[in-house]
Amino acid sequence: MTEPSISDVPMEKPKGMPSWVQHLIVFAVFIAIWEASVQFQWVSALILPSPFDVVVAWWDLAIVRKLIWDDFFVTLTEVLIGFGFGAAFGTVIAVFSAMQPTFRRLVSPYMVALQVTPRIAVAPIIVAWLGFGMEPKIAIAAIICFFPIFINTLTGLMQVDEDRMEMFASLRASRWQVFRHLQLPGAMPVIMAGYKTGISLALIGAIVGEFVSASVGIGVLIQRFSFQLLLPQAFACLIMLTVMGLTLYGAASLVDRHVVFWKHDALLAKISRRLRTRYADLLSRDRSVQAVKEPV
Amino acid sequence: MTAQAKIHDLNGASREGASIVTGHTVGMEFPGPVTALHEATFGIKKGEFISLIGPSGCGKSTLLRIVAGLLKPTSGRVNVLGSPMVGPRPEIGMMFQKATLLDWKSVLDNVLLPNTLAGSVTKADRERAVDLLHLVGLRGFEVAFPRQLSGGMQQRVALARLLNSGAELLLLDEPFGALDEFTRERLNLELMRIQSQIGATIMFVTHNIQEAVFLADRVFVMTPRPGRIAAEVEVALPRPRTIEQMKSREFTDTAFNIRDTLGGFI
Repeated sequence: MTEPSISDVPMEKPKGMPSWVQHLIVFAVFIAIWEASVQFQWVSALILPSPFDVVVAWWDLAIVRKLIWDDFFVTLTEVLIGFGFGAAFGTVIAVFSAMQPTFRRLVSPYMVALQVTPRIAVAPIIVAWLGFGMEPKIAIAAIICFFPIFINTLTGLMQVDEDRMEMFASLRASRWQVFRHLQLPGAMPVIMAGYKTGISLALIGAIVGEFVSASVGIGVLIQRFSFQLLLPQAFACLIMLTVMGLTLYGAASLVDRHVVFWKHDALLAKISRRLRTRYADLLSRDRSVQAVKEPV
Repeated sequence: MTAQAKIHDLNGASREGASIVTGHTVGMEFPGPVTALHEATFGIKKGEFISLIGPSGCGKSTLLRIVAGLLKPTSGRVNVLGSPMVGPRPEIGMMFQKATLLDWKSVLDNVLLPNTLAGSVTKADRERAVDLLHLVGLRGFEVAFPRQLSGGMQQRVALARLLNSGAELLLLDEPFGALDEFTRERLNLELMRIQSQIGATIMFVTHNIQEAVFLADRVFVMTPRPGRIAAEVEVALPRPRTIEQMKSREFTDTAFNIRDTLGGFI
C-alpha cells in the first residue's frame, strides 16, 4: 500500500512567470501576514513569535552559541539507525512472508495487532527497558517505521502479474529466479514508497522517544524551550526538524528515482544512450540477412 | 533451390510423416466440477500452423496450457516430439495477449531473458538477440525500454524473446488480440513470414474467424460446455498468404464453414 504524499498530487505547469518566482511571492506574502499579525498584535507575541524573532533565535542558537548542533546530530543519528533497523527487519520478514505461505499465515495476526496498536504507546515501556540513552529512541523509531515497510514490501512481492508468472514458468525458471528477476524488481516501486513513508515515521519515533525521556536531541530542546515559554527558540528548533525531514525525504526520493529508474522517461533516455555506447559494436552489425537468408 | 522453396518442400515432406504433437482423449476438469476440456484427440505435424478458435469457455486456452506443460490434464495424455508432457520444456515456447515484458530491462535484455534464466549470456547470445530483433522489425530499438514502445512493438519484442528461447513449437494465446486491426494484420503477415523462415510449428489461439483462417493450415474449431474440438477444418489457400486472398471464394467458404460449425455457440 502506497501512502499518498503531497508530491504525488498532480501539479499544473506554471503559466506566465517562472515557477520559483511564484513560490517566492507566495512565501513572502505568507511571512508578511505572519509578521503583520504579530506587529499589529492580532495575536499575542507570547503565543506566536514573529518570523523575525524566530530567525534571530535560530541565529543565536545555531550560529552564535552553536547550541543545537549536537542535539541535531543526535536526533539525526537516532532516525538513521532506527530507520536502518526498521527497514532491515521489515524487509526481511516481508520477504519470508511472501515466500512462505505458512510463515505468512502464522505471522499475520501479530502484524494486524501491531497495526491496530498505537505504536507510540510503547515508547514509555521501551524507555523503561532500555534506559535514557540513544537506544530507546532508536528502538522506537525502528518500531514505528517497521510497519509501512513490512506491509509495502509484502504487498509489492505478492502482487505479481499472473501472465508474467506463466511466462517464467514456461521458461522453467526456478523459484529463486522468479524472485530475483520478476517479483523483487516488480515490487521495487511499492517497496521504495514504503521506505519513503518509513523515513518520515522514523523521525516521529525519535522525537516521541525524546519527549518521553532524554537529555539531548531536538525533541528535548523543543520541550524545554516550550516549558520556559521561549517560543521563538522552540520554533527555531521546529524549523530544524522540518529541514531534517525534508532532507531525509529528499534523499529517499532521490534513491527511489534511481532504483525505480524505469518509471522516469528522462532516466530511461540517459540509460539508453549509455547502452548504445556500450553495445556500439553489437548494434552496428548487420547480419540479419545472413540469419534470415530470405528477402523480407 | 531457394530457401523459401526448401522450407515448403520440407513442410510438404513432413506433413506425410508423424505428428510432433499428439493428444489422446485429453480432458481437464476444474473443481466445481467444470469440464473445461472434454476428450480432445488431435495431431499436429511439424511446420504446421494450427489456429484454435471458439467462443470464451471453449477450452482453447486450457488446451494450449496443457500442451505448454503449464497444466496437467485430468485425463488423457499429450505427447510432444515423441515424449509425454510432464512440465514446461525448452522446445516449447509461449506468448500471451499481454507482452509480459520486464519494464526494468532493455529490449535487448528482455529478448535475452531465456539465456539469463539458463545461467549465462554470451556475446554470441547477444548477437543472436540483435539478429532476432532485426527479424521482427525492431532495428534501432535494441536499447530502448518497454515503456517507450507501442503495444505492437512490445509484442514484437515478446515474439523475439519467444524465438530466442529456441522453441520449435510456438504456442500463441491471442498474441495480437489487444492491438488495433491494422497493427494486428501487419503482425499476422510478419508472423507467417517468420514461421516460413524458421520452420516452426505454431498453435495460435484466437476468437476471430478471419484471422484463424488467414493464418492457418488447419483450424481446430472448439465449442463450449463441455469444451471440445468440434471440427478440424483444412485451409487450402496457397502460401505465402496475401491480404487479397481474403476476398477469394475459398477463404469465404472456409470462414462460413467454421461459422456454421460454431453455429449455436455464438
